[in-house]
Amino acid sequence: MISIKNVSKWYGDFQVLTDCTTEVSKGEVVVVCGPSGSGKSTLIKCVNGLEPFQSGDIIVDGISVGSPKTDLPKLRSRVGMVFQHFELFPHLSITDNLALAQIKVLGRKEDEAKKKGLALLDRVGLSAHAAKFPGQLSGGQQQRVAIARALAMDPIAMLFDEPTSALDPEMINEVLDVMVQLAHEGMTMMCVTHEMGFARKVANRVIFMDKGAIVEDANKDEFFGSPRSERAQAFLSKILQH
Amino acid sequence: MHYNWDWGVFFHSTGIGSEIYLDWFVKGLGWTIALSLAGWVIALLLGTVLGVMRTLPGKVLPRIAAVYVEIFRNIPLLVQLFVWYFIVPDLLPEGLQTWFKQDLNPATSAFISVVLCLGLFTAARVCEQVRTGIQALPKGQTNAAYALGLRIPQIYKEVLLPQAFRIIIPPLTSEFLNIFKNSSVASLIGLMELLAQTKQTAEFTANLFEAFTLATIIYFVLNMGLMLFMRWVEKRVRVPGLIALGGK
Amino acid sequence: MDFSSLVTAMPGLVSGMMLTLKLLVLAIVGGVALGTLLALARLSHNKLLSNLAGFYVNYFRSIPLLLVITWFYFVVPFIIGWLTGTNEPIGAFYSCLVAFMMFEAAYYCEIVRAGIQSISRGQVNAAYALGMTYSQTMRLVILPQAFRKMTPLLLQQSIILFQDTSLVYAVGLMDFLNSARSAGDIVGELHQFLLFAGLVYFIISFGASTLVKRLQKRLTV
Repeated sequence: MISIKNVSKWYGDFQVLTDCTTEVSKGEVVVVCGPSGSGKSTLIKCVNGLEPFQSGDIIVDGISVGSPKTDLPKLRSRVGMVFQHFELFPHLSITDNLALAQIKVLGRKEDEAKKKGLALLDRVGLSAHAAKFPGQLSGGQQQRVAIARALAMDPIAMLFDEPTSALDPEMINEVLDVMVQLAHEGMTMMCVTHEMGFARKVANRVIFMDKGAIVEDANKDEFFGSPRSERAQAFLSKILQH
Repeated sequence: MHYNWDWGVFFHSTGIGSEIYLDWFVKGLGWTIALSLAGWVIALLLGTVLGVMRTLPGKVLPRIAAVYVEIFRNIPLLVQLFVWYFIVPDLLPEGLQTWFKQDLNPATSAFISVVLCLGLFTAARVCEQVRTGIQALPKGQTNAAYALGLRIPQIYKEVLLPQAFRIIIPPLTSEFLNIFKNSSVASLIGLMELLAQTKQTAEFTANLFEAFTLATIIYFVLNMGLMLFMRWVEKRVRVPGLIALGGK
Repeated sequence: MDFSSLVTAMPGLVSGMMLTLKLLVLAIVGGVALGTLLALARLSHNKLLSNLAGFYVNYFRSIPLLLVITWFYFVVPFIIGWLTGTNEPIGAFYSCLVAFMMFEAAYYCEIVRAGIQSISRGQVNAAYALGMTYSQTMRLVILPQAFRKMTPLLLQQSIILFQDTSLVYAVGLMDFLNSARSAGDIVGELHQFLLFAGLVYFIISFGASTLVKRLQKRLTV
């Protein structure tokens, strides 16, 4: 479904991604972790072309992200993305946030889009808040709306870029629960996260990145049982203490 | 020096028909408002386009908008007015030139010159406000809009501009008030707007204190009124739950 | 383009520019001084004083500069006549200077006020704790810091003022623009002279604001 091939990226002279290669198959849940500044957020943003890269290629559902001929907006509309800071549109009501791209990008009718949005809002347990504005919701609620907004586009895969790092601790679980549910339903997911509990529960594979490179790419059990690289061991021992 | 105070002067006949001096002020105010509104339409439209251009990816369009801003911001308004009034008409093609200089009522051709001048001058300033407003939005908003598959024109129309305009209502208000005050330069090319009528009244009646006091009060009251109105508008369009801008 | 008439007119243009610059410098000095006093008045605990200063600022900010220039041109000779009892005309230059000083003071006041308010309250307390009086605190501690911070803004406002001096055309003063216009009129090359004047204004304003931007960057780092 998503295949990343030898991707490298530079900011000027500084190399942020070095020869990254991996694969996410249909229905698979892949967790990407690593210390901050390791390039994991940059890598996931390359998948839907939010960040350009200079060499290598990424193929999503048979379409090359790197090719200048690719209609990126069209490709992006088929891949959902959830951001660290939610990025709901603050000037639009929750309903309009959910409907905007359905109408403008997919060309759905307004009532159809709103109906679909409300159904998804119900699924994330927030139907009572449809008429509110993002600023009136808690962080956890906003992030659940953001997930619903991405799902409203009927994506073939979902990208999560540190979806819980900006949340207060007591709100993390409400968001993770939605993500777990999504994973159980067979959604293809690529998640940048530090939540190792989530990874243990639903991930098929775990990718560990450091200094812009993929250091480890292993099955979940293998990764948690016996990480091969020292850096991953150090990272795990640090993060699991908490 | 001797001075004859007479606050009733505005109700004296001007000697032209049944006109009183107050009528001159009303007419002048009419021109002032027409100049400001027409200039503002140009400034807002062109300024928004330029402001968007300054924030687009790529090099050429932002550069063009930046050059526009520097030119129109660094040449005095009066010089710009002289260019629009004395030079540009001479550059028009023959037919258009005769029409502008001879067929048009002189007040109309002066009006056109001033409106273009004010509109293009203020557009440079509106551009900078729009740019600031857009750049004040978190980068994630653009990313989120991209990630949903929206295209650049849709991102500006649906996501960036509605938020940016809410932020920049106060500076845009003061730009509008500026255009309103700047419209007084029209008096220098003979358009009988508020200031020109005031000067004329002062010269006709010799009651210059009264005439200028009335003009000052008119400008002052309209300015304050508009400011209060825009504060009300700002409150009306405020998004619930949004205290400051930016992601929490 | 023929530059010979520009060369011939140069002495007139130079003396016009001298008048513009003289007006500019005096207006900046007077405007900043008056503006600083107004800012102190606005921030004072005396309600009456602060309201009066507030009204002054709001008043001048809501009327056109051109109105002030024209009005003062008519009115200042009268007032001087009443005050001194003489009938001496003071001339357009001084009426313009007073107009610019009083008008720009309203704008400088807001800049200075913001500058003073940006200095932390702790500085005032520290100065008072050392036994300084209000005026010592302002002169020795607060204003020097505030002026450092607001120099770029004061300069930017002064560039605007430089452009605005061209409005003295309204009362027939022979500043740079008016000299260029009249010279152009005389030799029948108005276009060329106006464009030349525009170019000179542009070069000075653009150059100055580029320098100010650079200064601003250096001050913020």
